[in-house]
Amino acid sequence: MSMSTTTPNVSNASNGSLAQRPHQRQVVAPPVDVFENGDELLIIADIPGVAADSVDLRFENDTLTLDARRPPAKGESPALVREFDDLDFQTTFRIPAGIETGAIRAETKNGTLVVHLPKAAAAKPRKIEVR
Amino acid sequence: MLTGWRDFDDTLRAIDLLQRRLDRAFDQWAEPYPQGERARRRPRTAWPPTNVFETKEAFVVKAEVPGLAEGDVAVSVEDEALVVRGERKSDVPEGYTVHLRERSPVAFTRKLPLPARVDSDAVSATLRDGVLTITLPKAKEALPRQIAVKAG
Repeated sequence: MSMSTTTPNVSNASNGSLAQRPHQRQVVAPPVDVFENGDELLIIADIPGVAADSVDLRFENDTLTLDARRPPAKGESPALVREFDDLDFQTTFRIPAGIETGAIRAETKNGTLVVHLPKAAAAKPRKIEVR
Repeated sequence: MLTGWRDFDDTLRAIDLLQRRLDRAFDQWAEPYPQGERARRRPRTAWPPTNVFETKEAFVVKAEVPGLAEGDVAVSVEDEALVVRGERKSDVPEGYTVHLRERSPVAFTRKLPLPARVDSDAVSATLRDGVLTITLPKAKEALPRQIAVKAG
């Protein structure tokens, strides 16, 4: 199986919900790992600072979209040292055929998002009996 | 209340001095660099990415440590420095092949010399959703004090 990852460019996303904000918040794609075994595809994304109920994960037309909002940092400016920005995460994945899309499940853990994409039975490696 | 431009200048100078001092302190941080291109959003920054800001009562250090639980990180004050040690294990799960890898395992130690005005006995730290927040209360002598003016 192969997967392609498309990432939207930062800010000025044509996403309608961003347009409702008083000012555009920067949006970046989080670092991800993608693994595979006989049973599933496994995606792990770093989304520090995001609570479980702020993750929007949708699957539509072969595309898995992740949208994770962080609460805006208040009282943290001006920073004495700034190595990370106050931003949100967004990215999309094209999901190959062979996934049991109704069984996709995800959980957040310690600021990471773990997505399990089980393979449809027909796509799992099977041993074929030879008589 | 500002009574003149000189007060404002003094305040700015103090802030500037602290900022430059902290900048220099942060330049000395020990650094393991994670591999992976997207993980390196800001080139040449060590892991974990850290912000420091100041409130009226404390300095606050925030570090992004996705994947870490309380047992994976140790915060201590040693020799007038804040030390944060830990390990982010993001190993490939057993039995899986790798399609994409942007989150690498990293063991880290970062040190921040503390300004003299911090009460090092009252430092506290919390970890939530992969963000470590360390609060360093300012020493009482460093807090602004109102001086009562009595009729004399």
